Amino acid sequence: MSATAELPTKEAHVLKGHEGAVLAARFNGDGNYALTCGKDRTIRLWNPHRGILIKTYKSHGREVRDVHVTSDNAKFCSCGGDRQVYYWDVSTGRVIRKFRGHDGEVNAVKFNDSSSVVVSAGFDRSLRVWDCRSHSVEPVQIIDTFLDTVMSVVLTKTEIIGGSVDGTVRTFDMRIGREMSDNLGQPVNCISISNDGNCVLAGCLDSTLRLLDRTTGELLQVYKGHISKSFKTDCCLTNSDAHVIGGSEDGLVFFWDLVDAKVVSKFRAHDLVVTSVSYHPKEDCMLTSSVDGTIRVWKK
Amino acid sequence: MASDEEDFVFHGTPIEREEEIASRKKKAVAGASGNLRTLPAWKQEVTDEEGRRRFHGAFTGGYSAGYYNTVGSKDGWAPQSFTSSRKNRAGARKQSISDFLDEDEKADMEGQSLSASSQFDTFGFTAAEYSRKQVEKEQHERPSAIPGPVPDELIAPASESIGVKLLLKMGWRRGHSIKDVRASSGARREARKAFLAFSTDENTKETSDSVVSETEVETSLDPQFSEDIKMSESTPVYVLNPKQDLHGLGYDPFKHAPEFREKKRSRLSANKEAGFRKPLSMKESLFGPKSGKIAPGFGIGALEELDVEDEDVYGGYDFDQTYVIEDEQPAKPSNDNRLRLTSKEHDVLPGFGAAKNSDYSMERFSPPKIPKDFVARHKFSGPLEAETKPTLSAPPDVPPPADNNLKLLIEGFATFVSRCGKLYEDLSREKNQSNQLFDFLRGGNGHEYYARRLWEEQQKRGDQSKLTLDVKPSSSVQKMTAEERGSLLGEKPLQRSLKETDTSASSGGSFQFPTNLSDTFTKSASTQEAADAVKPFKDDPAKQERFEQFLKEKYKGGLRSTDFNRVNSMSESARAQERLDFEAAAEAIEKGKAYKEVRRATERPLDFLAGGLQFTSGGTEQIKDTGVVDMKSSTTYPKREEFQWRPSPLLCKRFDLPDPFMGKLPPAPRARNKMDSLIFLPDTVKAASALSESQEHKKETSIEEPEVEVEVENVERPVDLYKAIFSDDSEDDEDQVMNRKIQEGQEKKNEAAASTLNRLIAGDFLESLGKELGFEVPSDVPYQEGTKPMEKESKSRSKPEGSSDKRPDRSGFKQKVEEKTSSLTLGSEEEKSRKQREKSPRKRSGGNDLSSSESSGDERSKKRSSKMDRYRNNDSESDSSSDYHSRDKQSSRSRRKRRESSREKRNSHKKHSKHHRSKKSSSSKLVYSSDEDRKESKREKRRRRD
Repeated sequence: MSATAELPTKEAHVLKGHEGAVLAARFNGDGNYALTCGKDRTIRLWNPHRGILIKTYKSHGREVRDVHVTSDNAKFCSCGGDRQVYYWDVSTGRVIRKFRGHDGEVNAVKFNDSSSVVVSAGFDRSLRVWDCRSHSVEPVQIIDTFLDTVMSVVLTKTEIIGGSVDGTVRTFDMRIGREMSDNLGQPVNCISISNDGNCVLAGCLDSTLRLLDRTTGELLQVYKGHISKSFKTDCCLTNSDAHVIGGSEDGLVFFWDLVDAKVVSKFRAHDLVVTSVSYHPKEDCMLTSSVDGTIRVWKK
Repeated sequence: MASDEEDFVFHGTPIEREEEIASRKKKAVAGASGNLRTLPAWKQEVTDEEGRRRFHGAFTGGYSAGYYNTVGSKDGWAPQSFTSSRKNRAGARKQSISDFLDEDEKADMEGQSLSASSQFDTFGFTAAEYSRKQVEKEQHERPSAIPGPVPDELIAPASESIGVKLLLKMGWRRGHSIKDVRASSGARREARKAFLAFSTDENTKETSDSVVSETEVETSLDPQFSEDIKMSESTPVYVLNPKQDLHGLGYDPFKHAPEFREKKRSRLSANKEAGFRKPLSMKESLFGPKSGKIAPGFGIGALEELDVEDEDVYGGYDFDQTYVIEDEQPAKPSNDNRLRLTSKEHDVLPGFGAAKNSDYSMERFSPPKIPKDFVARHKFSGPLEAETKPTLSAPPDVPPPADNNLKLLIEGFATFVSRCGKLYEDLSREKNQSNQLFDFLRGGNGHEYYARRLWEEQQKRGDQSKLTLDVKPSSSVQKMTAEERGSLLGEKPLQRSLKETDTSASSGGSFQFPTNLSDTFTKSASTQEAADAVKPFKDDPAKQERFEQFLKEKYKGGLRSTDFNRVNSMSESARAQERLDFEAAAEAIEKGKAYKEVRRATERPLDFLAGGLQFTSGGTEQIKDTGVVDMKSSTTYPKREEFQWRPSPLLCKRFDLPDPFMGKLPPAPRARNKMDSLIFLPDTVKAASALSESQEHKKETSIEEPEVEVEVENVERPVDLYKAIFSDDSEDDEDQVMNRKIQEGQEKKNEAAASTLNRLIAGDFLESLGKELGFEVPSDVPYQEGTKPMEKESKSRSKPEGSSDKRPDRSGFKQKVEEKTSSLTLGSEEEKSRKQREKSPRKRSGGNDLSSSESSGDERSKKRSSKMDRYRNNDSESDSSSDYHSRDKQSSRSRRKRRESSREKRNSHKKHSKHHRSKKSSSSKLVYSSDEDRKESKREKRRRRD
């Protein structure tokens, strides 16, 4: 099993500190740090490679559902049940701005490449783009063509991609001003984009991950075996795009081969629902977070 | 002088002479003068002789504080804060002297008004008042001696007994023992007297110290003890409060957490009895969880309400509950009887011993004997009897009487009796004693026939009841089935085949009747056997069952059973989906396809079943097999649609991209959603109902069209429908109509403004495209103003509508039908879409010419109206939107924003109805969203009210 040897399946650290479920765990741009957030309304900054908690950010009024760091590690944004998007300063731990406007819980946030805007995906069936450069707290753009909760959002240099419970993955291309809607027929839980930018992986609530070709909208592959039916569980691709990773509701983490969709490896990462998986941008290292309140760092 | 002074004795300090003071002051001022000059006036401090800050007294603001000795702040005197007299009127503030006094002055005052505290005021009024109040309070607690309402003035509670009064008179003081009085024999005698008086008094009145005095009476009779007894009016009655825990003496585990004491007490009292204490319940509700499961580890603010989202969706993980661990558990008093004995032991009179075993024994009564033949079941005497007891021997079959009327009567009566029981027969026999017609009841004409008929009826009914019993022996809940009801109402039971009974019995008895009915209408089809053999849904027995049911209905016709509400767990769309599956499967079976094919055909939709339904079948299958399935499904599912989307200029700027819509019209309101929600089913449902290839094609076109090409003038909007549904925003509708007109006008304007060069380029392009495809292209293409030639063909192909600004046509609907056919004839989809696009601008242009001329007229006529102005305003702004974001914010812009947002809202809540429908199916299991479903709907309601 040379394939599994490449995969980060050995537990390197357990990051404990969150009280209650951890809802998301994200590496920063270079993979040296990790931000996690959870039901205890805090965001925590870790050094996952040494297993230490660096800082705790408190300001959210309800659970924090997603967090994303800028590429220069200076700022990060978070969102959650309090319907606001927070724009933070990493070092001081202060909230620089709060973006209000979503009519419901905010499920996901992302910065764009230049960290000039934050895009948030909300329960109010909209994607909202917030400006970080100006002092305006009004959304720059509201995309409300979704028919149901938007669960996940991904940005490229020119596009905004959102995955929604209405079963669509919608790509909004700013260059040509078009919206491409790929209907998968199943509620989309999480989307992530391949590192080459050609494919989008959509985790659907029928316990299936679907890989789509972005240019044609064609279904390239289907990955099954895990359970994802009622919780927001993440999926992602390894940094080499060789494998697909998905968390399962029974605490397992699955690795599929990208091409032939075989389950290459699966192992028990947590006791309870795996809410989030995040893969190191360069090394073979993975973060998983779970409802059991822990974040685990996995290495080769 | 010196000698003189020696003779006097001086008390106190002498008053200083005026001169001396003046001189000292002068000195002080001279010393400080250097400082004074340098400091600004308001910073100068007034000091006394010793250089201390001078104190001015209460009325001058305490220390002289600077600011010309007025106030302590630069800002001046802050007046009393204003309170609106509308809401809370400022009541007349009662001033007292203490308001104006300083602490020390108050202390001084206090010193002057020294008074005996009630505790020590033996004879004073306060003590009496105090005790009187005490008594009054106590009296309120216990039931009144005189029943019924008694005016309080008549019966004032006696604060103290006459005995106590006497004692007091004699010099006894509260809190002191009587023993002290004994000091002198005379006084002692007096005391004895007083006690006697006291004890006699005791019987007649109710006093506060009844407990105490009772013991006193006893003990006063006993000379030995009388000395030791203390008159403890003011000393508290000893309360029996046994120490029941295992803590150390005086240790209070709840010292710092009194709320847990309440909790513990409540637990204890809950163990003992209910209704012991009430007031803590409120406190408990404050601390205890209110509803459901709350996410552990942290609480929400005291001011926040517990919401749905605070419930722990990830249940199952128990974070340690914070309990105060109590190790002590009081030893419970084991037995009442023994307790009584032991308690007796304590207060036995001297010289007596407590009985070892008490005479008192509870008299016990043994329960009544149940007669042996008693059956613990109630039997109905009347009608059931007739049914349960089968007629033993069948009466001989007799030919009916010749009289047809009589025969009918007998038959009717027999059925009636069989239904209602023997009782009815007896009754009617008595009633119709004299009636000739009812002779058959009394053994007259036709009696045999009647007996026979009755027997037959009873037999029939017996069968029925037996059957119903057979059908549902398992169901514990006795529900009235349709059959029972029918039989009660006297409906004729239907004949059924044996096999039918079996299947229906397995599917639950409650739906037997309709299926039977359908059976009676149709004969069993051969296809059913085929379906039975095939069993396409064998993975899921429940589904298979439903499928069989479905087949039965499909091929046998007749009445549709209301079977579907049985499957409550299925969502609406899942049900619809399943039905489609069934249809497909049935069709396949009918065509006699091979089993494998059937399986595949049915498998496909299975994978895409909406909602949280899970099908295990997919997982077990071979990967290759799923691959095949996926290839098949991929033709339906990852379905790509394209719409126009306009990124805001600022967004493009932030992404460092050129705005593709630079210098173009602002986007028209997206009416697509509205249209969709009113006319079309949600996409998911639509897509789910893909039956065959051709149908799919049709659908796709029908979906695409309304989305790609939206709103055109010459289609009559179903305004009535809108109004019926959203009557409250009729004004907005009007606005929209206006808006549209204005936009047309604006388009025209734009047209004029657009460069001819652009138009030519675009026109050329279109023309060439048309030639390529062999279509005729209209030379006049009014919509090509803003388009730049695109680098890619595909992009440019999409461009024409893009520039036409999203509003092209509703006429697409009308076209749709023709187009559908035409598109079907065309081979490739690309060509089809191209053709559409060729067609639509043509139509559009025609329509536009018309409408624009119309609207220009309109425009002129409406120029006066303010609304118009508003629109024009923002039109003009957007016209020159090349320097869009460099503009400063104008009021008009913000106004437009508001409008937009309101439109959005409206759109969104129009979407809602549909949204909810689709949601039920798609996201019902998604935790984040379903949580909020309720709230969302609430919100929506609120919005609608607005």
